[in-house]
Amino acid sequence: MIFYIARRLLLAIPVLFGISLVAFALVRLVPGDTATVMLGMQYTEARGEQIRAEMGLDQPVPVQYAIWLSRALSGDLGQSGFTGQPVTRALRERLPVTLQLASSAVLFALVMALPLGMMAAVNRGRWPDHLAMTVGVAGLSVPNFWLGILLILLFARTLGWAPSGGFIHLFEDPVGNLRTMILPAFALGLAVAAVLIRTMRASMLDVLGQEYLRMARAKGCGPLRLYGVHAFRNALVPVLTVLGIQVGYLLGGSVVIESVFGLPGIGLLALEAIRNRDYVLLQGVIVFVGTAFLLINLTVDLLYAWVNPQIRYG
Amino acid sequence: MVDSFRHAGQPLCPHPSAVAGLVVLSLLGLLALFAPVIAPYDPFALSGNAMLAPPGPDHWLGADQLGRDLLSRLLYGARISFHVAVLSVGFALGIGTLAGGIAGYVGGWIDQVVSRCVDVLFSIPDILLALAIMAALGPTLNHLVLAIGIVYTPIFARIARGAVLDLRHADYIEAARSIGSSPAAILYRHVLPGILGPLVVQTTLSFAFAILTEAALSFLGLGVEPDQPSWGILLNQGKDLMERAWWIAVFPGLAITLTVFCFNLVGDGLRDALDPRVRAEKRA
Amino acid sequence: MTRLHWIWCPAVFLVLAGCSRNADPVPVTERDAARSRTNELIVAIQSDAKTLDPHLATDAASMRVIENLYDTLLTYGSAYGTLEPGLARSWTLSDDGLTYTFQLRTNACFHHTGRPVLADDVVYSLDRMRSSGARSSVFAPVSSVTAPTPHTVIVTLTTPLASLLAHLAHPMSAVVDREQVGAGGLKRADGGSGPYALIEWKAQQYARLKAADTAPASLRPRVPFLTYRPLPDETARTTALRTGEVDLLLDVAGKDVQSLQQVPGIVVESQPGTFWEYIGLNCTRPPFDDIRVRQAVAWAVDRDLINQLVKFGRATVLDGGPIPPNHWAYAPFTMYPARNLERARALLAEAGLADGVDVELLVSSDFPYQVKAAEVIKQLLKDINLRVTVRAMESGVFFHALGQKDFTMTLVGWLGFVDPDEWLGLLFRSGALWNQQGYGNPEVDQLIEQGRSVTDRAKRQDIYRRAQEIVALEAPMVFLYVNERTSAHLADVKGFVNHPTVTTLSLRETWLDR
Repeated sequence: MIFYIARRLLLAIPVLFGISLVAFALVRLVPGDTATVMLGMQYTEARGEQIRAEMGLDQPVPVQYAIWLSRALSGDLGQSGFTGQPVTRALRERLPVTLQLASSAVLFALVMALPLGMMAAVNRGRWPDHLAMTVGVAGLSVPNFWLGILLILLFARTLGWAPSGGFIHLFEDPVGNLRTMILPAFALGLAVAAVLIRTMRASMLDVLGQEYLRMARAKGCGPLRLYGVHAFRNALVPVLTVLGIQVGYLLGGSVVIESVFGLPGIGLLALEAIRNRDYVLLQGVIVFVGTAFLLINLTVDLLYAWVNPQIRYG
Repeated sequence: MVDSFRHAGQPLCPHPSAVAGLVVLSLLGLLALFAPVIAPYDPFALSGNAMLAPPGPDHWLGADQLGRDLLSRLLYGARISFHVAVLSVGFALGIGTLAGGIAGYVGGWIDQVVSRCVDVLFSIPDILLALAIMAALGPTLNHLVLAIGIVYTPIFARIARGAVLDLRHADYIEAARSIGSSPAAILYRHVLPGILGPLVVQTTLSFAFAILTEAALSFLGLGVEPDQPSWGILLNQGKDLMERAWWIAVFPGLAITLTVFCFNLVGDGLRDALDPRVRAEKRA
Repeated sequence: MTRLHWIWCPAVFLVLAGCSRNADPVPVTERDAARSRTNELIVAIQSDAKTLDPHLATDAASMRVIENLYDTLLTYGSAYGTLEPGLARSWTLSDDGLTYTFQLRTNACFHHTGRPVLADDVVYSLDRMRSSGARSSVFAPVSSVTAPTPHTVIVTLTTPLASLLAHLAHPMSAVVDREQVGAGGLKRADGGSGPYALIEWKAQQYARLKAADTAPASLRPRVPFLTYRPLPDETARTTALRTGEVDLLLDVAGKDVQSLQQVPGIVVESQPGTFWEYIGLNCTRPPFDDIRVRQAVAWAVDRDLINQLVKFGRATVLDGGPIPPNHWAYAPFTMYPARNLERARALLAEAGLADGVDVELLVSSDFPYQVKAAEVIKQLLKDINLRVTVRAMESGVFFHALGQKDFTMTLVGWLGFVDPDEWLGLLFRSGALWNQQGYGNPEVDQLIEQGRSVTDRAKRQDIYRRAQEIVALEAPMVFLYVNERTSAHLADVKGFVNHPTVTTLSLRETWLDR
């Protein structure tokens, strides 16, 4: 086990290195640079060179990479070429929004998926099962940005129950904050819910077929206790694992959802960085998101190995 | 394992939803293919009179702000969606399977390199990676195919590698090796059929994701050229007109949802038929 | 004779308010407790400000936030085209038209440092604008700026410049606090002395301002708190106004005007604006290096149809010169009365392009209405065999490409402010910074020079009419339309002036009837 953990951690190092390389290389391919965007129509060679020199963009690319990497290792992702703000500060400012969005989406997905999945498994082959499975496929098929637009049309425009965009900070106005978060969390969470419904159903079916549950039933265990406690608890492990895998979807999907709802999170930050050709910032976002994703997956894998010691540590 | 694909035809039949999905998809494919014949209007033809015309006898699904027929635009949009999906998934399937298959079969440092590359690509969320690639290349149809193709390559590489690793030590392959079959022959005759099942399932599901990703990127303005009637672009144009013309935002979304839904149904059916061990796994 | 240009002095100037340092910032919680919907005006803007440095800002959102933080020597009057005193309470122009002398008011103080605004600061700011600012080119004829006394500034010109005062009144010709420039720059900080002071700018969430304690009582705004909220989505903006989340929308799209007018409790104000749009044709590149091909485009475009489809018919079509009818330099002539395909085809045939040619039309994806207009133009030009490909880029890269003349055909707009030189001189003079079309005509150059140095308005009118006629005929730009300027606000917002130039300076006199 310890060997497994050590091996996984060691393997993560070249991947992290790779992420930084991909981020750096991709961003260098983007046509136009911060200097051209900052100066726009007032661009002249001399002033462009001046800005590039200030930002170190006049160095050879490998040198730029080495400098950037050595700073990144000490936790300094550089300064946004556009606003002059340190990238880490921009990330720190934006992270709470994305975290709140993602966790609200997960919460919504769990609340929806666990009962539906369980209901489907218990009533296998009957209408609740078909309903749950239809939601399970449909939820994966609806584009989240379209869902967002429809939600705005219905709840914000027509009914006026929720604001149609913008963000209010949690500590500033908790009620207002929740109102701005409900629709985007639903739009983002539906696809996760769909996956979880299917997982929950499958794993519940697995559990229901197992020996100890039949024993419990034979011993006269009531259905509530039987399904609600014994089966549910055991069916949860694969659901949580799959949830870990969904983090990638949540991080990617938040780019689109934050753009639809105007939420100032990491996703919108990435789009702004692309729009402003803000090399340093875009690099920072990709590296940050990639690292976070990698670490979360690693944690999930390790937890999974810990819960299920019999799996093969490939 | 080898047999599983041969039975593909039979087990699909008990899946009426998968069959229905396949039928609808074929229909959509035909509509897309014959869009120039079927479409009632030129999808680019402007009309001052038809500006924001609601659904009616002249324009079944209404018209957009520039008076262009929405149905015709949706039909042409289907061509873009299918074009991008087929080519990008084809790219991912080809490159991914090749890289993964070789890595699994050869092993050693090649395997290490391929696996780490796959890990790296996996560690950047799909949409973000595709966005960054599109920003680097610029929004055109071909670049979009490439970007989505790159994003979905690692999943195929991983499947192919895993399947090849499983098969490498299977008895019948050992046997083929011992009677002196060349590695190419072994790959083609024995390994390929063995990994076909999971690949077919993944390909079908990837079509669904590719269509969604194409729409999302075009919606964000980093997909196809802005004057193309891609479903994502239609949605983007509809979003600002929702109140006056709900149809522009609603029908393209329905089209995407229906197509993706059908691909998902077929994919699920195929998975149950070909690969019963795999249940709801990575879907992102 | 010395042309005295003394402007009336409001009683304000008699009051010599001292400056007090505004050093200890009020704790955030206390500030927020003081804020409520009765004393805070919330303005929705289309995107977040990019910078708060007035001398670098070029985007509308940044300008909206900046203009109320800073003072300028002169300001725009509420009637379009008029100028009023700002930091300068009076000014004189020497006989030869080369020396302006400004007298500053003595009661202005910088927010951050509490220092009084002195002539040295004006000199510093003008030098900063001239050397590196976004609008340095308009001040090119300025040879020196000096401060003989703490409240006197002298601007010396190499050639007469009739538009100098208008340029100085541009909201971004701000006087900045040099200590703040040294202490961390102006990109994210407030180095101004204007009626409002910055409390906090949170990226993509809000920029919050409060009435500056340092402003003299009579110039202090009536609403204590002013908040700008970026809402990039058009639908989100109009919804926010309907639900009362925001008080004021600055740019209402044509499609929303009608529906907002029907909402009780919302006031919609429209008038012809100064933002006009055009097709830019690169005169240095084939096929548009041939004047006949440019004219063919001008004849083939159906301006009324584009206006109808893209602007919901709410813009004013420009079939002559670019200066709109609400401006004193408007030239009432018509060059392209209606779409004329025969003429367009004949011109193309003359140019040897009867079989047509492929061209790329570059637009910015950040302006969806321009992408739509580009789609219409693509279809219209198909009729004369000009096969157009539309290519969209993010605005930053787009404007860079324009600046480098790296395009064949573009569709973009220009926000004219007050002086005709800002409409013509910056765009059509040979080698001018904003002349991306690479257009050059010695006669136009000469007319523009004359227009700058002549101060008589009637004479300038003639000069600019002639210049507009030539430019419209030679078509480096195909003028399309000038947009309506529409703002919408809640009915209890009083005293806001919907200015053609989009400036929001009148917010300092706006009040809430709550």
